[in-house]
Amino acid sequence: MDSIFFYRPPEAAVPADGPLKGMNIAIQPNVSAAGWPTDAGSNALARFVALEDATVVERLRQAGASICGSTRMSEFGFGLDGSRAGEAIKRNAAHAELVLDLMGESRLAASAGDVCGFKPSYGLVSRFGLIGLIPSMECYGILSDSLKNIREILKAIAGPDERDFSLPDETTPDFSPQNIDRGKTTVGIIKEAPGSLPARQESLYRAAIETLGDAGLTVKELSLPDFPLFLPVHKIVGAVEASSCTGRYDSVRYGVRVPGAKNWNEMYLSSRGAAFGPLLKSYLFQGTFFQFERYDAYEDACRIRARLVAGMRRLAAQADFWAIPVERGGPDAPASLADTYAQFALTAYANVAGLPALYLPPAQGRPHPGVQLSGPRLSDARLLALGEHLLNARRGGNA
Amino acid sequence: MLFSERVFCGQLTLGEVGRRVLLAGWVDAFRDHGGLLFIHLRDRSGIVQIVFSPEIAAADVCRRAAGLRAEYCIAVRGEVKQRREGTENPHIETGSMEVLVTELEVLSESDALPFAVSDKAMVAGAPSAGTDTVAEDLRLQYRYLDIRRTSMRDNLIARHRIFQCVRDFLDSRGFVEIETPVLTMSTPEGARDYLVPSRVHPENFYALPQSPQLFKQLLMIGGMERYFQLARCFRDEDLRPNRQPEFTQLDIEASFIDEEFLYELIEELTVRMFAVGGITLPRPFARMTHAEAMDTTGSDRPDLRFGLRFVDVTSVFAQTRYSIFRQILERGGCIKGINIQGQSGQLSKNVLQNEYAKEIVPSFGAKGMTWMRVEDGKFESNIVQFFSELELEALRGKFSAADGDVLILIADPSHATVTSALGQLRLHLANRLGLIPSNSFCPVWITEFPLFEATDEGGVTSSHHPFTAPDRADFDPKNIEELLSLRSRAYDLVINGEELGGGSIRINDRDLQRRIFAALGLTEAETKEKFGFFLRAFDFGAPPHGGLALGMDRAVSMILKTPSIREVIAFPKNRGAACPLTGAPSPVKREQLAELGLLNLGSQDVLPGTAENENRIDRLSWVSRIGLSADERPGMEDVLAQADALALLAAQNAGEGEALYTVAPVANRTRPGIQEKCSPLAETGQLLSRAPAVKGRFFKVASILE
Repeated sequence: MDSIFFYRPPEAAVPADGPLKGMNIAIQPNVSAAGWPTDAGSNALARFVALEDATVVERLRQAGASICGSTRMSEFGFGLDGSRAGEAIKRNAAHAELVLDLMGESRLAASAGDVCGFKPSYGLVSRFGLIGLIPSMECYGILSDSLKNIREILKAIAGPDERDFSLPDETTPDFSPQNIDRGKTTVGIIKEAPGSLPARQESLYRAAIETLGDAGLTVKELSLPDFPLFLPVHKIVGAVEASSCTGRYDSVRYGVRVPGAKNWNEMYLSSRGAAFGPLLKSYLFQGTFFQFERYDAYEDACRIRARLVAGMRRLAAQADFWAIPVERGGPDAPASLADTYAQFALTAYANVAGLPALYLPPAQGRPHPGVQLSGPRLSDARLLALGEHLLNARRGGNA
Repeated sequence: MLFSERVFCGQLTLGEVGRRVLLAGWVDAFRDHGGLLFIHLRDRSGIVQIVFSPEIAAADVCRRAAGLRAEYCIAVRGEVKQRREGTENPHIETGSMEVLVTELEVLSESDALPFAVSDKAMVAGAPSAGTDTVAEDLRLQYRYLDIRRTSMRDNLIARHRIFQCVRDFLDSRGFVEIETPVLTMSTPEGARDYLVPSRVHPENFYALPQSPQLFKQLLMIGGMERYFQLARCFRDEDLRPNRQPEFTQLDIEASFIDEEFLYELIEELTVRMFAVGGITLPRPFARMTHAEAMDTTGSDRPDLRFGLRFVDVTSVFAQTRYSIFRQILERGGCIKGINIQGQSGQLSKNVLQNEYAKEIVPSFGAKGMTWMRVEDGKFESNIVQFFSELELEALRGKFSAADGDVLILIADPSHATVTSALGQLRLHLANRLGLIPSNSFCPVWITEFPLFEATDEGGVTSSHHPFTAPDRADFDPKNIEELLSLRSRAYDLVINGEELGGGSIRINDRDLQRRIFAALGLTEAETKEKFGFFLRAFDFGAPPHGGLALGMDRAVSMILKTPSIREVIAFPKNRGAACPLTGAPSPVKREQLAELGLLNLGSQDVLPGTAENENRIDRLSWVSRIGLSADERPGMEDVLAQADALALLAAQNAGEGEALYTVAPVANRTRPGIQEKCSPLAETGQLLSRAPAVKGRFFKVASILE
């Protein structure tokens, strides 16, 4: 069996003293760690070796964690085909993993691996040193068995970084533990969200919702008729940004050159043709189509995106958090672009709107697929506290 | 505060000392003297210094004043005082007084400025800021701020004064201002039209006028007799530095007049326009035929501020032994020259031979040039030994050559090459030697243009336009040689080498017009198709008429001595024919194109080499530079069909709201306090280390061309 790891350093650096002391964290080969092969799962970056540490790597090490290796990933982290995310935790090879979340990959990987998965608010964690694909939607997801680990890791990596010029100047949330008031906390159910679920899945979702009531939370039905538009907006905006973002892979500075090109343009055509796999190629073609033939569609998508963000903000006035269904697993290794996106129909909303989202696996023995919780942007600390409250309640704790 | 009491900053006089006044305007500049705050308050009329003193103004006023920043819009009330002796500011009109403020109202605040607006120093002797260093596109992007600056404000006001002077004068001469349409018919004129699609008539277009030529002639046929208009005209021409896609021209047409009427009218008008800028033009304006201008200056818009007129010396060398000249003359060529008087000190042998003969003159299109310096009564040159004494003496006579003069001759089988190269050389030398007097204006009428020019196909084409009257009517429309000898009744007004305007007496006789079209090789059917509506009007008693158009942007720019016409236009396009302020021209939505019926226009009749008939997958593969193998293609068809469906879904659900491109607030990318620096990885070359092909410090790539 091939290794779940893409690369393991021969000897890990001796970690510093800090809150993450003793914790082994796996990254993906799209995160720079000086001296590590870093190809982001793509031929476009074959043989590339990172020259310096990403901000997250630097901060994790400073906080005492040991970066134990990088796990195999899908091309540029898009979808989960070829990804081994979540397995390092299952096999006790790591306490936590950083997994790029473009449209829900970290949450789906967590669900497949039966661990907790958290996608922070957009713009909370520096992307310096990350090889990204969809700049306006992507962020690191954190996988772990323990929500406390996730909270401590997020606390270590979040916050301003002068090397990431895309990071907004905002106040970083306070990640100290906090209490969730029983009876005073409402969780909204967006009635349009389960629209795409098959009937059996929907009843399982209802079962997952019941656990919220059991934990003393008020469950309330909300409505966002535009909810089904999250996925198409992601498809259009994501494709355009990915096409733009991968323009830099030119076989001049990175990757592999296909020999024999007679001229410059032919060199680009053949080398870039060989650089990207079939799934990514389809995606980049759609992006190019929107950029060069239907730019209006991109702008239309951005108009809808504005409305969706405003819609979620309105829902935030009606409930503290939202519960969104999540599908377990999904089809194995989907081949086509459409099938890939179909897996993420219920997770892409958080990337489009930049919201934090937390996947909690079901309690042992429960048949439902777990639950996905979300809240307003930058409510990360409270959302994690809600997760801890729910896990506590399962253990019969009196939160 | 009541604005009805407001007085203007720049109009305060010492007579108002002691009065309480209300002023309103913008904070131009400020100086804080520890509690005592001096501010230059600016409105359209000018600047006055206002003072916030804790001894006079209430503490609250002083506190709010301390928060004022450049370009805040404020109103103040205070008392006019004479400044203490020695503290006057000669940079501003009201420099001998100031206003001691007692009341302040901030009308609106200003963001940090993209460039400084203030250009008046606050103390005597201090340097004033200019905008020379501000990129022009930035000025155009924030044109409303640029217009707050003194020079732009003055230019726009002066432009108004000049326009007003034009209107007053033409009104006094019985001219009537009449507007002609902007949405009109595409007519065959010199430049490309700007087209405007019609929604009501799909696949049909209006054209924006390149000039109101046809309409003004129709107004004459309509009996208006004297018409003028400050007309906006549009030409989709190739970019040149001092050109705008839309420009303003003074359009004039009058009936029952001749050339002399127009010369008098335009001279008087031009003199008045220039007088607004304090420039006195000499009258009457010089006149020069087109032939004379070409023969003596090599240009149909000669700069007459300096001499260097051409002298034809072909006859001198009729019998020459100098083989180069002899061969040229045998082929029907000519020899012309100029005398650069008293400049031999500036034009050494080295400069003449190595710069002018070898580099500069060949770049003007001539094969070579001959030079001679006159020293101690003798000609000095590298080829003087080839000329006979007789030839040299004849040259001396023709050029009135004296010691210190430099003669330059150009010979070529083509007359056009000689005049063109010598004309460019004339300007080059005048600039280099500083022979052009500043603040001098030499207006000249250029007259008697050729009516026709020869075409490559052996026919003729109009030099001006086909409605220009010829100097005689008894010509044979089939005799090309005779046609080329015809002169037109057209005239151009040229000042200092710039064409300010031009016009002509028009044809009003049907029969003559028909023969002109015949000369141009147009059949009845073709003329009807091209000019039908216009020619029909001439069937109803057209009066004799003529007119002229003056480029007003260029005229105002010349009067105000600005480096470019953009300085005298409130909202001009930049050198790329775009507007950095509004972003025009901009793409439009497909839906908008669909509504105008433009989506499939031209698809029935695809031009070879255009992208329309190209395979969509090939095109996207090309623009994204992502190659596809044959087995990948069918899948791409599906992928693009899905993208089409997505675009449709997005269009149906987009609504009219604002677009959102990122969910987090965008931070300042150049954060304060962070110094830009080159990555050490780039400096050590490590950055390149994993590139597929590196040679030394460079990436290796395939060749750009095959």
